[in-house]
Amino acid sequence: MAETTVVGLGSAARSRRFFLVGAIMVGALVLAAAAAPWLTPYDPDAIVVMAYRGPLGPGNGHLFGTDTVGRDVWARVLYGARTSLFVGTLAMAISLVIGMAIGLAAGYFGGLVDAVLMWVVDLFLTMPSLLLLIVLATVLPPSIFTIPLVIGLLGWTTFGRTVRGEVLTLRERDYVQAARALGATDARIIVRHLVPGVLPGVIVLAALGMSGAIIVDAGLSYLGLGVPLPTPSWGRMVSDAQTYVGVAPWLVVAPGVAIALAVVGLNLIGYGLIDLLAERRA
Amino acid sequence: MRRASLAALVLLTACAVPLDPPPPGEPDGAGPPRAGGVLRGASPEDPRTLDPARGYDTVSWAIEQMLFNTLVDYDAGTTIVPELAESWTMSDDGRLVTFTLRHDVRFSTRRAFTAADVKYSMERLLKPSIHSQGAEFFHGIEGAEDYVAGKATEVSGIRTPAPDRVEFRLTEVDPLFLHKLTMPFAAVVDRDTVERVGDDDFTRYPVGTGAFVLEEWTYGQRLKLARNPDYFRPGRPYLDGVEETIGVSAQLAWFKYQRGELDLAGIPPAEYERVRADARYQPLLLSRTTLRTQYLGLNCALWPFDHVAVRQAMNLAIDKQRLIDLIDGQGVIANTILPPDMPGAEPVPGYAHDPAAARRKLEEAGLAGGFETTLWTYRDPEVSLRLAQSIQRDLQAIGVALDLKPVDFPALIEAVRHEGTVPVFLLGWEADFPDPSNFLTVLLHSRSRDTNNNTFYANPVVDRLLDEGAPLLDLDRRFRLFHEAEVLIMQDAPWVPLFHPAGSAVRHPRVRDYELHPLRPSRLENTWLAW
Repeated sequence: MAETTVVGLGSAARSRRFFLVGAIMVGALVLAAAAAPWLTPYDPDAIVVMAYRGPLGPGNGHLFGTDTVGRDVWARVLYGARTSLFVGTLAMAISLVIGMAIGLAAGYFGGLVDAVLMWVVDLFLTMPSLLLLIVLATVLPPSIFTIPLVIGLLGWTTFGRTVRGEVLTLRERDYVQAARALGATDARIIVRHLVPGVLPGVIVLAALGMSGAIIVDAGLSYLGLGVPLPTPSWGRMVSDAQTYVGVAPWLVVAPGVAIALAVVGLNLIGYGLIDLLAERRA
Repeated sequence: MRRASLAALVLLTACAVPLDPPPPGEPDGAGPPRAGGVLRGASPEDPRTLDPARGYDTVSWAIEQMLFNTLVDYDAGTTIVPELAESWTMSDDGRLVTFTLRHDVRFSTRRAFTAADVKYSMERLLKPSIHSQGAEFFHGIEGAEDYVAGKATEVSGIRTPAPDRVEFRLTEVDPLFLHKLTMPFAAVVDRDTVERVGDDDFTRYPVGTGAFVLEEWTYGQRLKLARNPDYFRPGRPYLDGVEETIGVSAQLAWFKYQRGELDLAGIPPAEYERVRADARYQPLLLSRTTLRTQYLGLNCALWPFDHVAVRQAMNLAIDKQRLIDLIDGQGVIANTILPPDMPGAEPVPGYAHDPAAARRKLEEAGLAGGFETTLWTYRDPEVSLRLAQSIQRDLQAIGVALDLKPVDFPALIEAVRHEGTVPVFLLGWEADFPDPSNFLTVLLHSRSRDTNNNTFYANPVVDRLLDEGAPLLDLDRRFRLFHEAEVLIMQDAPWVPLFHPAGSAVRHPRVRDYELHPLRPSRLENTWLAW
């Protein structure tokens, strides 16, 4: 039964429920990001208070109040969803492309190629990633692309190892052997026969990887290394407001809840999918 | 269920934690000063040193001022008053300054203080092996250069014709000489102790003539000063001692103060507005303007700030009132380079906030479409980055796209020195002495371009006015020349003066006669505790 799987969530019905809740949470965030201009009249970077007299509390026409520069917090949380989802998606996509390419090549060709590529994976795993992230994020010119690029370039190893493992079993399957006997090229075998086989596992990893990237982005932003100001970013909002937590807690709570929603939602999707896909395959 | 939890969330986010009251007690009251008691302070870090020849930061100076004395000092404002010197005279040519010393001064070792100690302390400061950042202030004493170069065993320009008399002969007139002597660099140290423990260990055995003596310094934990019973001012200090707890962050110090565990504390920027508005805190709040100017530096050597019109546009574009609001009113708008408390400071035609006029200036420079540039700033989210984002917004309104580059403070200070690196920077300057030259010459003379003139501004007329004013002892003429220079500088607009910040602190109700000083850390000689 599903109870025996390593990372499952229990019964298939439960997994479906979790997946659904996760999908609703993430769907809501995607919707919020896409529809941001219709959900708030405010420009997230605009200073909207007439004269700054400290952060305004929730209400007064500002759902989540205003921040320590006099901007609308609700608008910044909404537009911050764009930043976080963009960073998460791009970082995940970069990891996925690199990881799949390396995993497929290592698993399919085996031998020296496999040894060398796995050695590269080990090399990346030995590096203290947070330290490296901080160094790269400091050295590279700040832009909205820097952080996802750095996270993506450092985060592909899980994809690589998982894909390689899958390919090692897939390549011995009869249909792969048959394709090879019919004279299919390596490229055709990989694209037509192996990629679809590894995709379910990769989708799970993608969901988890994306939530991981959002967490790392929040952490880096918290350290002041995220997307350049004034672009709203949830991690940055939490960090900038931390000394105000007693005076204006909404400044921390609003972006904090948003981060939690995104991460929990994506994790529910990922873990839900594990069982759902296993069930389908069985 | 869903609605209820959402409501709870909204309620939670809406509730700020109420401001705790200050420590209880009557904040004022009649009656003579009470002697006794230990004043409790806190600091996030140890002083870098307690050797007055070597300290050049406010944390070190705050303690050094209590352990040592200088020949002259400032009163509560910027007027020079006698300290170890009873009186002084200056020759007509301004190059010979003679001090008559007090007779009743003893080191805390009980040894009597004499003119030889002054000469010894000054020569120690100038000794190359000390590597004092303050040495250059005294290179104008005759013979100092030879002494520094190792060509002489003493500074010939410092003479001690009698035990209570010391003379300084200067290579040229220096109207700032007395101001330089107020700096802790020129403090008188105990020769016996220096020779016993050595130059490098003097920081741990800092023996002087000051109101307090060092009782204990446990690195990273606490620093205790005890009253010097032999102090030359009778009845002072009132306090039995001072105890600084080290390693206490500003935020923690604030909490400890509210719990009555500290007698003095700063106010975290996040809390300032509430504290100021709270009647319970009002009598305990100390605030005063300092000789500081916060400004945007525009690199005159880099496009497009090599155009005067572009620099003037920047001056017109920025809403300084909003910056003052962002710092909760802790300062005044700056329309000039010199802070208003600076002797010789006068109103200078400045720039009002006028975005339309700023746009016209950009058109004049052929940049009607705006441009993109980078602002380097200290990466402090509590103040600098908030100001920077407000400035960014103002410039966006005239079509200028400003990227922010937040960096660490030492990196910022280093970067702005390189001519081709930093187009715009946000920095402040605090005067070492109350004299216009300490802003205008140090920061805007073309000769200072390899040190503190980080805008690389150069105007020969301004240089000439500053050079002409520098040696003048006649303050009217001196200040007039500096004022003329400042008017020209404001027209050329290498700076956007933003505001003159004020310093602030809170005291425990039992702390009396404690005042903030415009130039130096506060001294505790006259401070007393009511209980």
